[in-house]
Amino acid sequence: MKFLCVLCDQPMKLVEVAPPDRGALSVLYECPECAHRIAMLTNPFETQMVTSLGVEIGPGGEKTESKCPFSAMVPGAGAPGAESGVTWTASALRRLERIPEFVRPMARGGIERFARERGLSEVDEAVLDEAKSFFGM
Amino acid sequence: MKSYFDIAGDGGSRVLEQVRAKQSRIAAALAGVRRMVAVGSGKGGVGKSTLTLQLAHALREDGASVAILDADLNGPSQARMTGLGSVAPVPGPDGLVLPRTAAGIGVVSMGLFVPESAALDFESVAAGDSYVWRATKEFAVLGDLLAGVAWGPLDFLLVDLPPGAERTVQYAEFFGAAAALVLVTLPSDLSRGVVARSVAGLRRAPNRVLGYVENMKGYCCSECGSVRPLFAESSAIDLGIPCLGAVPFDPALAAACDRGEPLPAAAAGPAWPAVRSVAAAIRGALEAS
Repeated sequence: MKFLCVLCDQPMKLVEVAPPDRGALSVLYECPECAHRIAMLTNPFETQMVTSLGVEIGPGGEKTESKCPFSAMVPGAGAPGAESGVTWTASALRRLERIPEFVRPMARGGIERFARERGLSEVDEAVLDEAKSFFGM
Repeated sequence: MKSYFDIAGDGGSRVLEQVRAKQSRIAAALAGVRRMVAVGSGKGGVGKSTLTLQLAHALREDGASVAILDADLNGPSQARMTGLGSVAPVPGPDGLVLPRTAAGIGVVSMGLFVPESAALDFESVAAGDSYVWRATKEFAVLGDLLAGVAWGPLDFLLVDLPPGAERTVQYAEFFGAAAALVLVTLPSDLSRGVVARSVAGLRRAPNRVLGYVENMKGYCCSECGSVRPLFAESSAIDLGIPCLGAVPFDPALAAACDRGEPLPAAAAGPAWPAVRSVAAAIRGALEAS
């Protein structure tokens, strides 16, 4: 979607995306010539149609919904280690971030359980490799 | 006054840019896949998933590296049929480590991530209007799966499609020309009629349709060992695509699938040679192209 300042015949620039409010999105556009500003306001129906593409809107990548579609179905969908007391090294976290976002809560829960059962308090790449072998992959 | 196409870019939303970036990630993740074969029908209950798994085993027995993508997000069955339902997802250096069966067949299915007791549900700001956006969301999730799994080098990636003639066409378009289609039908007019709709719809898609498989063409009697009729068979509807073979229904093989047991151990009946013959026909059709 693009917006045109009819008076200046210039494409307007996206300036800001306000945090979503009850599913509604406010996107601010400005004409680079005359500085006239308009706001595009979407209803939840329209917001959802766009976010269903799996994209984030705007220059700052404004998230309009939780990207984990199953978070209500997966216990402990918070940050890694938030509830289990198991911490993740930076390199292990990078691996976690490379898998589909909706799989992460389950992967995290399974790996942290795997670590706890072995008396480990930290998940590093070696633990992930060990889990891979353990599950026969 | 300028029109839409006079203005470069996408207005600052970065939507197009993100969609294209995701397409690139999918292409990179699938770079090692030699052949993608989508097994669909249009009709439900014709044994697409069972046949997909059987074909995977047949191809694997011939030495091919094979994985299955269960694209039926709402009614996934491959996790149960392969006995991988309790395997935890493991993050690897290049994405999600591909879970494998004892036979070495890779399996990605929503059944690995969502328990059978739960329906696949998406958090949404417009939950009551899911009929509008849900299909789009499902394709986005499927794209995330394709891009986020370390598929590695594969001779065959078999895609188990959901039912629905129009869905078959949508999935074919989603996977693009790289995916060849195999359609499954029962030997009945009812089933062939629905599959004929899929064939008609697929004429507009970029994919090659390799042919169809007549599944459940008779059943294997466990008492006398013969194959007996199961449906009132008809050839009144010409599907206009090659027949890749016919597979009888084998209760022992179906039960093994239900229990997630390794297939070759249960493959003593006449169905198994028929599956192997279909697998050979698929290979032949692909190599002829």
